[in-house]
Amino acid sequence: MHTPHSRSVGGGNAPFWLVCQTAIKHQKKKKKKKKRKSTVNSKMHRTVPSLPLAPSMKVKLINAGFQVASDLTDMRPLQLCKEAGISQEEAVEVLQVLRDDGQPHQQRAATESLTALDLLHQEQALGSIVTFCSALDDALGGGVPVGKTTEICGSPGVGKTQLCMQLAVDVQIPVCFGGLGGKALYIDTEGSFLVQRVADMAEAAVQHCTLLAEDTEQRQALEELTVEKILSNLFLVRCHDYVELLAEVYLLPDFLSEHPEVRLVVIDSIAFPFRHDFEDLSQRTRLLNGLAQQLIQLATQHSLAVVLTNQMTTRVSNGQSKLVPALGESWGHAATQRLILHWEGLRRLASLYKSPSQMEATIQYQITVQGFRDAPDEPRTTPDSSAVSSPSGNHSKRPRMEDLS
Amino acid sequence: MVILREGICPGINEEFIKALQSEDIKTVEDFVSCNPEELAQKCSLSYKALVAVRRVLLAQYTAFPVSGADLYEELLSSTAILSTGNPSLDKLLDSGLYTGEITELAGSPGSGKTQVCFSVAVNISHQLKQTVFYIDTKGGMCANRLLQMLQSKTPNMEEQMEALQKIKVLRVFDVFSLLACLQNLRSNGLQKASVGGGSVKALMVDSVSAVLSSMLGGKQNEGMSLLMQVAGELKMIARDFSIAVLVTNHVTKDGNGHLKAGLGQSWSHVPRTRVLLQRIEGAETSSLRTATLTKSSRQACHLVEGFDLCHWSEERRTSISGKRKLEERSKP
Repeated sequence: MHTPHSRSVGGGNAPFWLVCQTAIKHQKKKKKKKKRKSTVNSKMHRTVPSLPLAPSMKVKLINAGFQVASDLTDMRPLQLCKEAGISQEEAVEVLQVLRDDGQPHQQRAATESLTALDLLHQEQALGSIVTFCSALDDALGGGVPVGKTTEICGSPGVGKTQLCMQLAVDVQIPVCFGGLGGKALYIDTEGSFLVQRVADMAEAAVQHCTLLAEDTEQRQALEELTVEKILSNLFLVRCHDYVELLAEVYLLPDFLSEHPEVRLVVIDSIAFPFRHDFEDLSQRTRLLNGLAQQLIQLATQHSLAVVLTNQMTTRVSNGQSKLVPALGESWGHAATQRLILHWEGLRRLASLYKSPSQMEATIQYQITVQGFRDAPDEPRTTPDSSAVSSPSGNHSKRPRMEDLS
Repeated sequence: MVILREGICPGINEEFIKALQSEDIKTVEDFVSCNPEELAQKCSLSYKALVAVRRVLLAQYTAFPVSGADLYEELLSSTAILSTGNPSLDKLLDSGLYTGEITELAGSPGSGKTQVCFSVAVNISHQLKQTVFYIDTKGGMCANRLLQMLQSKTPNMEEQMEALQKIKVLRVFDVFSLLACLQNLRSNGLQKASVGGGSVKALMVDSVSAVLSSMLGGKQNEGMSLLMQVAGELKMIARDFSIAVLVTNHVTKDGNGHLKAGLGQSWSHVPRTRVLLQRIEGAETSSLRTATLTKSSRQACHLVEGFDLCHWSEERRTSISGKRKLEERSKP
């Protein structure tokens, strides 16, 4: 790679390039040593600008000469304080951040990879929440998936809140009946949550399970499944504006670590607090994107399903108007799955618009006294055959799902 | 700007640094730019020591120039082209994803970016038998869907499991975790994976805009720096390990209402090739998509190809627009 220089005139020692070569070899040896070290401590290679610290702090650290996180790990707070010119509290904070670097969960996720095969096993274990409308369950691949965020958009009165309340009841169906046996957290921003309606839905669900109970395990579980129990496992939070909503989502990790049986978080609706009096639209987009990332992180780390409700707005183009989901173009990317509920004459239809694993489909549903159900026109055959012949051939269907649909 | 410290080179110790600091020389740059003779006279340090240290520092911190011919040979031997499995997309990308480069897929929600990433990952792990790293920032990774795609390619269970094991998934949800993840991959993750048998040839990040868009704009002054750090890490990974990097991006509307890829002008210089995915007007619920080449260093821009997400390995017979003629003329 290098052309050897001629020997330097006038008493130089070795030619320049030779010195360089030896220095480079020495450097390479040092680098090899460093590599061995880095397998022991995975933080050695993180550069200071990539650490989650305040920008002004990072500027001070870089000016003091710290380029890599490994430069900082052996420092004491007083030393750091003197060299970087920051206060003692800030120095302690910096070393703290380096030590945990977020939650241990996050750090593991960033460094350890799963193979897709492991992920497949995990997904099969997670399951999904039924909606009691078998057509919708088939379209969604078994129900609302756990570990992902689902967005439900629709015009007023089409049934978004009804579906959310139905899901809050359905997540509590015991495991022996094919459900998840988990609790639900309902964050209400519109004030449209009605306890009486949930009680009706809960009663209908209990009756449905009673009809299906076959063996002793199921009958035992049924004794505990009462309307009171279902209502007591449903946590309700009322948020009045977007600041309360953001604070609530920020506090969710603590809540979820105290209540690990929560399997569903519903935010009804996420559009309402952000559409009122929000002047700075770019700030709204940023806040929403940050919120979406926090929610998907919660969904993945705590194994829960997050359901968001969105409103519709009109878009005028080429002289025609169309109903599209609200909150803008970039919000469309936020949720993992998107379900759009709309009217067609007197029929209520649900379209799966965006999903990583399911085909797009449109199905009809209806809202009855018992809750969210199949439309009467589409005759479903016997529950067993419908479960077996489902088109997507999904492997995530839990073995007992035939009992339920 | 590298500050002179003990231990960055043999011969530099505490006294040395103190003597230099008294002459107001704090960084390596200051040191190598001043004359060692003058320095020897001003401080109480020997000329030989100064010259020796200077040589070592120059060797450590200099970038060596490489001739164009060597570079070309290196490129020829290390670049590989990974087919995406879809003939239309391969045509658009000039026969596939090139290693050492970043390719970007942009599209509105539901336009199929994640599906294209899945199809490409499945093709690389099953057909080409190479390892793929998939960084998921949106929760869209669905191993079930990967299994479905593999099942349509081969009925052999063992092959399917083997292909699934070659796809490694990392899930990060904010930009600092993404940077930690990329830096970890660069320092030891990729080497570990290639040691275990099967070289890593592709890295996918779905999506880069989900973690960056909340940091850009407004009164935040760190957004651009983080965007450039992510770009730098991806480029270094692509270059050093000869890996094809595929990223996805969201779209926004520009002044005239046309779709353009997100993250602004600064990001637009980062990927070498950019493709815009769109649904077909009027066929909203079908699985047909069009891919438009919006930036490429090898082909004429604005080439359009249509393809079907469901039938990945088949070629679309009907042309989408009259741009076919342009394509024929541009091919040598």
